[in-house]
Amino acid sequence: MVEDYGNTAAVNGADARRFDIKLMAEPLELSWHHCGVTSDFIGEYFSRACDGSVDPVDARHSISYMINEILENAIKFRKGGNIDITGSLEGGTFEILIRNLIDAHTAESFKAHLATLLKREPGELLLERIEENALNPDSTGSGLGILTLMSDYEAKLGWSFASGHVSEGVELTTYASLRLS
Amino acid sequence: MEISTNDYRVWTEGSTIHYEGTMRLSGTDAYAPILEAMNSILAAKPELITLDLTSLQFLNSSGINLLAKFTIEIRKQPDVGVRVLGSKSIPWQSKSLRNLQRLHPALELTIS
Repeated sequence: MVEDYGNTAAVNGADARRFDIKLMAEPLELSWHHCGVTSDFIGEYFSRACDGSVDPVDARHSISYMINEILENAIKFRKGGNIDITGSLEGGTFEILIRNLIDAHTAESFKAHLATLLKREPGELLLERIEENALNPDSTGSGLGILTLMSDYEAKLGWSFASGHVSEGVELTTYASLRLS
Repeated sequence: MEISTNDYRVWTEGSTIHYEGTMRLSGTDAYAPILEAMNSILAAKPELITLDLTSLQFLNSSGINLLAKFTIEIRKQPDVGVRVLGSKSIPWQSKSLRNLQRLHPALELTIS
């Protein structure tokens, strides 16, 4: 069964410049380091591939920030296993697909979170979430990654949950695209 | 006060807090020592606290949460002013720092 939330249609076509990276399952600390290095590498690679109408400094940063935030979530919430990353660029639009496995319980709570989030204006929700975090000193995660991407970067995001047998977990594909300027 | 790693450095000079490098810490707990250092400046109730971010190349969303949380702490103390210095050449600052001003309209934001 597949359940989609947000924008899950691939934006870039067959002619896009693209490449794939696979991050192997490693201990958290090493994965966290790989997350930063991978985001910076993809940002650097694609910002140099943009045409002259795009500001390469802004493109490099925006791509890197977007991938870093989605990869941080993939690393924090994955149910072991590798993380597959496909980046592509076509006509000034950068798109990333990040695929990893999560357990069924994490999938259900994330779906409920997305259903609420997608009904709201992200900038407004971002401020609400910040105020809530400030009131709750025990909260460990900020939950601001997705909201900053939508509000501050105008990224288009989507999530596809594919599940078969419960014990195998749920395959989550996160779609994210940015119009570079 | 100074907190320094291979990736970033945070230090204070009077009531100015400087940030430098790339901060991608893993969450609220990891940022706690930095927040503690920032709160110790606020505890002295200076007239003006300056956050100098002009050398902070990258900050993840957990780090943005740290700045936002501190802004809310300052907002509770009407006698303490706050000024945030950013750089136009560092893209995240033009995109995300305005949120601090939305949280605390008296915050003075200069991105130059």
